[in-house]
Amino acid sequence: MRRLRLASLPMYIAVGISAIYVLLPLLSAGEFSLRQPATHDYGFKHYIWFLELPDFAHYLLLSLGLALGAAAILLILLVPTAIWLNLGGQKLRGLVEFLTLLPLVIPVVALAIGAQTSLPEFAQTNEFILSFMYAILAMPYAYRTLDTGLKAVPLKTITEAARGLGASWIRTIIQVVTPIVRGTVLSALFMTLALSLGEFTLTSLLHWDTFTTWVTTMSQGNILGAIALSVFSLVSVFVLLMLIGLFVKPASNQLSTEEN
Amino acid sequence: MGAPLQLQGVTRKFKDTVALNNLDLDVAAGELVALLGPSGCGKTTALRIIAGLDRANAGQVWVNGKQIDKLPAHKRNMGMVFQSYSLFPNLNAEENVAFGLKMRGTSKSQRRDRAHELLTLVGLPDHAKRFTHQLSGGQQQRVALARALAFEPDVLLLDEPLSALDAKVRANLRDEIRSLQLKTGTTTIFVTHDQEEAMSMADRVAVMNHGNIAQIDAPDVLYHSPADEFVAGFVGQMNRIPAEVKKDKVKVLDSLVSVKSIHDYQRTDLVALIRPEALEVSLSPKGNSRVVARSFLGPMSKVLLQTLGGVEFQAVMTSEQSTALHSGDIVQVKVKAGEYLVVAA
Repeated sequence: MRRLRLASLPMYIAVGISAIYVLLPLLSAGEFSLRQPATHDYGFKHYIWFLELPDFAHYLLLSLGLALGAAAILLILLVPTAIWLNLGGQKLRGLVEFLTLLPLVIPVVALAIGAQTSLPEFAQTNEFILSFMYAILAMPYAYRTLDTGLKAVPLKTITEAARGLGASWIRTIIQVVTPIVRGTVLSALFMTLALSLGEFTLTSLLHWDTFTTWVTTMSQGNILGAIALSVFSLVSVFVLLMLIGLFVKPASNQLSTEEN
Repeated sequence: MGAPLQLQGVTRKFKDTVALNNLDLDVAAGELVALLGPSGCGKTTALRIIAGLDRANAGQVWVNGKQIDKLPAHKRNMGMVFQSYSLFPNLNAEENVAFGLKMRGTSKSQRRDRAHELLTLVGLPDHAKRFTHQLSGGQQQRVALARALAFEPDVLLLDEPLSALDAKVRANLRDEIRSLQLKTGTTTIFVTHDQEEAMSMADRVAVMNHGNIAQIDAPDVLYHSPADEFVAGFVGQMNRIPAEVKKDKVKVLDSLVSVKSIHDYQRTDLVALIRPEALEVSLSPKGNSRVVARSFLGPMSKVLLQTLGGVEFQAVMTSEQSTALHSGDIVQVKVKAGEYLVVAA
């Protein structure tokens, strides 16, 4: 036992340092947001301040909706593509890799100007255009997550085995492939949600207001309130992702142990 | 009980290469036929076409008197075991075994009973609730075998199921597959590049080369009467010893032997194909060969020899006989009477 503990000591140190690096600023921000300078004590005054702002719920729900939209677009587009590529569409792999890398290479400003000059008017006047833009921004990460996850599974043999055992293509995809890749799809979903919920530059360049741009505007008048808002949005995104993770745990549980 | 299987004129081309060239194969119900050959000979392609995982450019596949080559894979009722472990990682052993029955609409309790029956048959009755990652390679292939047999397939297709396993597990599982196949009477096609595996398990072995069957016969027939040089070289050890035409016979190592087939009587650069056990070696100072080395294989020993002209060959004898031979000894080697293949050197 003692040896085991000693062996994992470096790991604990590494995790400890990482935890301090990530948590200390968060805890400090949390502590700072609870201060009430007028009375020299702690309280939820600044949290109550932003919760009572008339636009709070509107922008929060809008951001969530846009992020879910982006995730839906990406998954509908990328899951079949990645499965198909891993089942034998090898010829087009290079092209898909190139296309999904483009958003990393093209500056956000260029994307924004491109969208403003080339998209038809109905698209420019509907805020759900942002879902499509977020989907483009998250594509490099989501695609790579999906592709890596799928590569870890011998998808071709498994689908052939399923078909040989009497499952049609549709049943193979629904009853065999989907449960196996669920963990991977979820990772891609998290990635897209997290990126979309925190997106600022493109939204601002396209002159739309979402939760992030609204927080920035609000922070100009009330610095403690803005920090409270930031802490809130960080924690709520975290909680949201945790909830999604918990919700689908039973199926992904077996897979995560399988991968180990 | 399995069903008879026929392949008629099956051809499969991939761009410029011909993987299968007008292949005919006739397998009786309950028979185990091994498709043996070097990589690229078309054996796996043939198996995939039978399974419906690949389509032939021409030809027909018949099972139990029904033409099935137009049917999709999932309607063919074939059990298949792959080289790489193909168990579903999100299902446990029992659910894996029951999968084929689930696809056929069998009730849950029947599925479970049958899965247990099959897991017991492959020696894993206590592993029903284990997932893939909790099973060793050999156990995974056993579950895969149980899964392929659970729905009583017309034909069992085994695509090098033992190649990924270590030697000891492989030898055990080889015997188990054969006894299971005999017990269930399932018609089985076994693809392998390992001649020992093919020879020890199959009722008949089909040696494949360039997309067609070079010879299909019982293992002993294949070994003792290979149809051509390729089969002779692929199955078992074969010496190539210079031969000289003497009327209708050939002279090999001072022995006159009969010829089964000869490449060309006019040629002078001919070699006879002779198995190591068809040679008799005795100590003789005026002999025709020299002992190079001896290797002990238990009851038998292999002796590496060299003709006085410098051609190396091997002889197999009992270890007792071989103790008299030492490196450098001059020996007289004779070829046992029989019919031999003579080919161009």
